[in-house]
Amino acid sequence: MSELDPVVLPGELGEVPGARDIRRYTSQAANARGGASLGSLLASVYYAVITLGIAIGLALGFAQAMRVSLPAEPDVAEPTSLSLATLVVVIIVALVGMLVSLAGRLGPVGAGGAEAAWWLPLPVGRRGLLRPAARRLPMIAALVAAILVGLLDAGLLGDSALRVAHVVLTSALVGAGIVLLAALAQSAGVSRSATALVGDLLLAAAPVAAVILALTDWSLDEVPALPWYGAALAAVLLVGVALLVDRRLGDIPTRSLRESGSVATQAVGAAVSLDSRELGRALTDGAASTTRRFVSRLRTARGAASALVTADLVVLRRSVRHSVQLVVAALVPILVSSVPELASSGGVLLALLVAGYVAMSATGEGARRAQMAPILDRLLPLEARTVRRLRMVVPALAMLVWSVVAFGAVGRWTGDLAGWIVLGVVSTPVWAAAAVRSSYRPAPDWGGPLVSTPMGALPTGVGAVLARGPDVVVLGLLPVWIAVLLRDVNSTMIGIQVALSFIAVAVGSSVATGTMMERMMSSQEELDKKRKSA
Amino acid sequence: MSKPAVRAQDLLVGYGGAPVCAPVTFTLAPGKAIALVGANGSGKSTVLRAVIGLLEPTSGKLAVLGEEVDERTVAFRSQVASVLDDDAYFPALTVYEHLYLTARGHGVLGAAGVVTELLDEFGLTDHSTSLPVALSSGQRRRLLLAAGFVRPRSLLVLDEPEQRLDRAMRDRLAARLVAEKRAGGAVLLATHDPDLVLAVADRAVHVADDVTRLLAPADAAALISAENP
Repeated sequence: MSELDPVVLPGELGEVPGARDIRRYTSQAANARGGASLGSLLASVYYAVITLGIAIGLALGFAQAMRVSLPAEPDVAEPTSLSLATLVVVIIVALVGMLVSLAGRLGPVGAGGAEAAWWLPLPVGRRGLLRPAARRLPMIAALVAAILVGLLDAGLLGDSALRVAHVVLTSALVGAGIVLLAALAQSAGVSRSATALVGDLLLAAAPVAAVILALTDWSLDEVPALPWYGAALAAVLLVGVALLVDRRLGDIPTRSLRESGSVATQAVGAAVSLDSRELGRALTDGAASTTRRFVSRLRTARGAASALVTADLVVLRRSVRHSVQLVVAALVPILVSSVPELASSGGVLLALLVAGYVAMSATGEGARRAQMAPILDRLLPLEARTVRRLRMVVPALAMLVWSVVAFGAVGRWTGDLAGWIVLGVVSTPVWAAAAVRSSYRPAPDWGGPLVSTPMGALPTGVGAVLARGPDVVVLGLLPVWIAVLLRDVNSTMIGIQVALSFIAVAVGSSVATGTMMERMMSSQEELDKKRKSA
Repeated sequence: MSKPAVRAQDLLVGYGGAPVCAPVTFTLAPGKAIALVGANGSGKSTVLRAVIGLLEPTSGKLAVLGEEVDERTVAFRSQVASVLDDDAYFPALTVYEHLYLTARGHGVLGAAGVVTELLDEFGLTDHSTSLPVALSSGQRRRLLLAAGFVRPRSLLVLDEPEQRLDRAMRDRLAARLVAEKRAGGAVLLATHDPDLVLAVADRAVHVADDVTRLLAPADAAALISAENP
């Protein structure tokens, strides 16, 4: 084809401009009407850097305060216990899995909607068009990896500055390397779902490996880091991989670039608007297969109610990411209660809360889909409240399994296995109700009033929407939190938990979309109207 | 003798290995137009996506301008123009700038003049300084179509170009496509418009689940009318 020239010409043809010219023309035209002066741009950068610095400082302070408050490591390690350093390494491995998974789901190299439609069809070198985005990603990964691992190492392990610098450098190199390798795989035609699957499996393997380590009494004393010469060698190697990726940018097919760009655009939009549900959708759907090798016969669907439950079950079963999420979340309380320094009331409470919320989020996929496409709920002859109650069935089943494992670990920690498992089982409906309530929450409301705080203006409307779900967890599990703090379960707590579970189910099956304050105000307005008319 | 613009032999297309329609066979010569017709979801757009390299064929043979499809090559991109239903634009670039970027990106000299002519032809002169967000759905469609004509090409691939266009604009588009053929360009389009088929197409391919058939334009137009009474 190369020897042929186009036969239909809109005008005389000259030299095709370079990719840099195309990028420059686009950015100059955009900047011309962007309205932002250099001063305001610098102010924004300054604000962002200062905010990031303060955030890191706060996180570091929190981690160090936690380190100080942690009990000292016992002189004699208990059987089946895990050292804090081993747990930190396990967390780092899980973070690596998450990064691989994220890199796969996002591409990592992609072209957003406008770039895909207007840049990619041009006969200019693709490398030049894609290079800035391809360079940005490893740098961001390196920065994020360095910050996260640095916080873990400096905060929890309290290593020396030199040692922290070693660990930070190693993690930055690993972070950048992962993204570069994912880009290399993308250019070689490896599907994004395959890369994401590798990451998911790594993420799931991390806590499993930790449990095995605990059972075999094998632990680490510190986070492994590359020596200086090793880091230098790795950096040189990374530059080589980066150059290879750069050379192969032109080999990435348009369809891959378009898909990646589309997912990245959707994910960034969701992150900026604080819409975690949309973010999950972007990351899940983007790497999902468009066809299924096996068609579910839905044998358990024998009526409207069972059809709904069966559909939710199929949705959960088909999402590898959510299954991995459940497994990881179930193992977190086991690990935390196995680390002597973390096995305090505060540590276990935090582990139960966070792991439970992560597990709960994984179980509500069916409800989240229904919220996105309301027609799904209207297809069956069921009342709206009934639909929501039925959508709690699958989350309740999944959380029942999670509760037995997680509360079993807490029971082992306190020495009262049966009592804790009973408390876990009766608290299951609260998690299910929270899963459905958070899945059906409306989109974040940016129109609500702003509240001025030392950290800047906070949009209360967004906060009120995002609190739907977590509010049920925090309030509906009060007996659990008290029991963890007291390290004791009694029949009164179990009785109160049963009552709260009933209330949580009632709240979770409510179809009202407004917040409690909004509903109170609207009731007040109605009352006022009635009084006036009377 | 010049090579066919598109040669598809038992071409099977689909997603994840599952075909969306029966195998397709046709040959599109330079200076000719073929219309893909069929019901919604029959696989017309999927065939077009394979032709422009956005989808790997499941099986069969497919050659564009005598070569295997590889949209990563500069030669392919400089000769194959496509207008899909991509409703994506640079938010800060005007209508004029989108077209100028495309023309200059293909090395068109005197791009400003070419763009001005096309803006007039597609009824966008009054909106040349408008940002995409200010355009109606039909105007955005006209911008996409203009982008297909503002650049050099040997093969023009259009996915339902009549969508969101009024009658007058459809007639003007038909005339433009006839001129395209006269200039030696090949046109491959998927359409639901019987008038467009009659005015532009030399042959039609009925894309369906069970079997795909080559049809005369009149038969294809009658089929579309029967499917959309």
